[in-house]
Amino acid sequence: MSANRWLATGNYFTTYREEQRIFFTHIDRLLFVCFLAALFAWPFFFEVSSKYMLIFDNILVAVIAVLGLNLVTGFGGLISVGHAAFVGVGAYTVACLARIIGDQHVVITHAWPLMVLAGGLTGAVFGLIVGLPALRLRHLYLLMATLSFQMIFQWVVGFMDFFNQGQFIYVGRVYWFSGEVGRSVHYQFWYFALLVTVVVLGFGVRNLLRTKYGRSLVAVRDNDRAADAMGMHPGFTKVSAFGLAGFFAGVAGAMQAYLNRGAGFETFTLHESIQYLAMTIVGGLGSLPGTFFGPAAIKMLDLQMENLAEWAGHILPSTMDLATGLRPLSFGLVIVLFLMFEPRGIANWWRILRSYVKLWPFRY
Amino acid sequence: MKTKKLIIRLIVSMVVCMLAMPVSAMAKDYMIGLSLAITGPTSDAGNPYAKGVEDYFRYVNDMKLLGEDTIAYEIRDDKYETAITKRNFEEFLDMGMVFYLNYSTGSTLALKRDFEEVKMPTLPASYHAGNIEGANYVFLPIASYSAQAIGLAEYLVANHEGKTPKVAMYVHPSAFGRGPVEDVEKSVAAGLDMEVVEVVEHGKDLDVTGMLQRWKSKGVQYVISQTVQSPVATMLKGANRMGLVAESFGEKGKITFLGAHYTGGNDLIALAGEAAENFYWTTSFITTSEPSYGANAQLALAERYGRDDKAANSHNYAAGIIVAEVATEVIQRAKAKGKEINKEALYEELLEMNGMNAFYSGTAVGPVTYSKDDHQGVDTLQLYAVQDGEFRAVGKPFIPEYTDKIK
Repeated sequence: MSANRWLATGNYFTTYREEQRIFFTHIDRLLFVCFLAALFAWPFFFEVSSKYMLIFDNILVAVIAVLGLNLVTGFGGLISVGHAAFVGVGAYTVACLARIIGDQHVVITHAWPLMVLAGGLTGAVFGLIVGLPALRLRHLYLLMATLSFQMIFQWVVGFMDFFNQGQFIYVGRVYWFSGEVGRSVHYQFWYFALLVTVVVLGFGVRNLLRTKYGRSLVAVRDNDRAADAMGMHPGFTKVSAFGLAGFFAGVAGAMQAYLNRGAGFETFTLHESIQYLAMTIVGGLGSLPGTFFGPAAIKMLDLQMENLAEWAGHILPSTMDLATGLRPLSFGLVIVLFLMFEPRGIANWWRILRSYVKLWPFRY
Repeated sequence: MKTKKLIIRLIVSMVVCMLAMPVSAMAKDYMIGLSLAITGPTSDAGNPYAKGVEDYFRYVNDMKLLGEDTIAYEIRDDKYETAITKRNFEEFLDMGMVFYLNYSTGSTLALKRDFEEVKMPTLPASYHAGNIEGANYVFLPIASYSAQAIGLAEYLVANHEGKTPKVAMYVHPSAFGRGPVEDVEKSVAAGLDMEVVEVVEHGKDLDVTGMLQRWKSKGVQYVISQTVQSPVATMLKGANRMGLVAESFGEKGKITFLGAHYTGGNDLIALAGEAAENFYWTTSFITTSEPSYGANAQLALAERYGRDDKAANSHNYAAGIIVAEVATEVIQRAKAKGKEINKEALYEELLEMNGMNAFYSGTAVGPVTYSKDDHQGVDTLQLYAVQDGEFRAVGKPFIPEYTDKIK
């Protein structure tokens, strides 16, 4: 271990415990705290339009969902293409209860943190059930199993009266200590609520990965037979990874339902599932920082392509409708390019940058 | 001498500029937002709709229909995604919007509470009856899909020969498609003499032979569709191949196909080709295939702003024009009364748009009327049928009777 806890120009670990530290130096910790403080403080200093606040909120919702997906796919090596359905389970937990007891019921409006937790737990239950095939299936076969859950979800929500046949179900405005969270502060409020959740869950994942379970998750990903021989339980590890992913997705869904003031079927389609997967890949599979970079990158790319497609839609002849293809084209292209040229995702750029800064001004 | 003239000219120019300045400074921009699918699903309808809105507002500004004031319209593509519509709506609010034009059924239902909260008068392109249920600020431009389906049902009952007609409904698997089913069934319960044999929510099948064969075996004589053009085109082509399409209305042993607003139009003819012959379609809009003052005006507007034939002849282009016309009309009326132009004033003007104050648009077959209890603009419908590759009017415009009976 480096004698100087503030600056370390190399790796001086002498124990596994040291290597597993969240912050290697005090500078790391200080910078992180400053960054976190900045994330919490900036809305007080800069006036941001509702549009952009909503974009930030949506990125944070995606970060929570991708935290879960990265656990199961990145760290666990188990492919899942039904993640939007898990997010939907969380959203519909809140929305359906609102439909039954009334969207202005005190449980919905005042006990919203409990409702978010309930959304997460329902997502976890569904995750555990959907994860059961993982005991027997891998690769493409597991992909089909998760895809079937996505399809079942879409059909059930789209056709059952209980879910209003996929039509929007309203969720009331929440209350905080200062009273009802009104329209003027709605997006700011959810920005802070989501940010707190991201921080808590982010640290949760980071710590989880330092535990025995976290290590067995990575071991099972690398070679489940070897992990089994080492005394780990691959089946439990895989199924519980799906449960955890379901929990994160459920939390994201419940918060999204509150943010959008309701849930509608179209937010949880296969397209959304693929988007979550793309966020995980672009951010960096099996990387915690990548979980934050991926959603931000994909959401921002989406926004830019939306603008480009809109511009093209205005000028290109309507008979061709070329503009419609711009967004999916760019989306697919980004995934392919990342898979080809940077399979470790944006997180790898972050790693390179950190290494450079760590060694600076020394180049060796 | 020359210098003196120059000085005088300069002074005169300055005075003219000074006099002109207050006028331009007083000129106001009224922000109207439109969020719709210019690309993505349903963009075949959204694209010409956006052009209709844009062209009419450009015309208003170019012709100075609001004097020195102008309409600052913002048209945003939401790709048929509610999340983007919500974002666009929030952005429009930040921009000081006074009137909002929305598009899809899903986003209108999802944002209904937002419209109520901010008291924003809203005209969607979706004519789903559920849009105006419990909503004070949402106004349908024309008769609802329910009214259209009931209108078609009334027409087929009135023109059917023989026993009680057997009818199937072919609908989109969404609120947009399902909405009219219940109202048609209510009309049957209220005395409309027809039997709804089957309601089919279509998928994305490219072959519906099985469904048509089943209908044939069940003795279905009429099919009322409430969806978009492509599934209807698939159905018509299948029926045509099987020799099931009636060559005249209600032909025995065959099926007569009918549909509501978004099932028809030139796009259907382009998709279904000759299989679209004798398809019966209802809407509250005029078509350019039937000569009229409105059709000429629509084509002239499209030509003025360089639109292609497809857009110029689209009923969705007409639909875009009418919502822009209504928005402009309420601004003009509020201005004439000396009111400050804001969302409250425009809402009041919408509520007063009835009786002698009804608004007549050339692109619709009846007057636009709104009141506190009536949020459905043009109540009148026109039936059209495809004859020799063009939609031709069948009979006179009508108002369905059972819409009131089932209330």
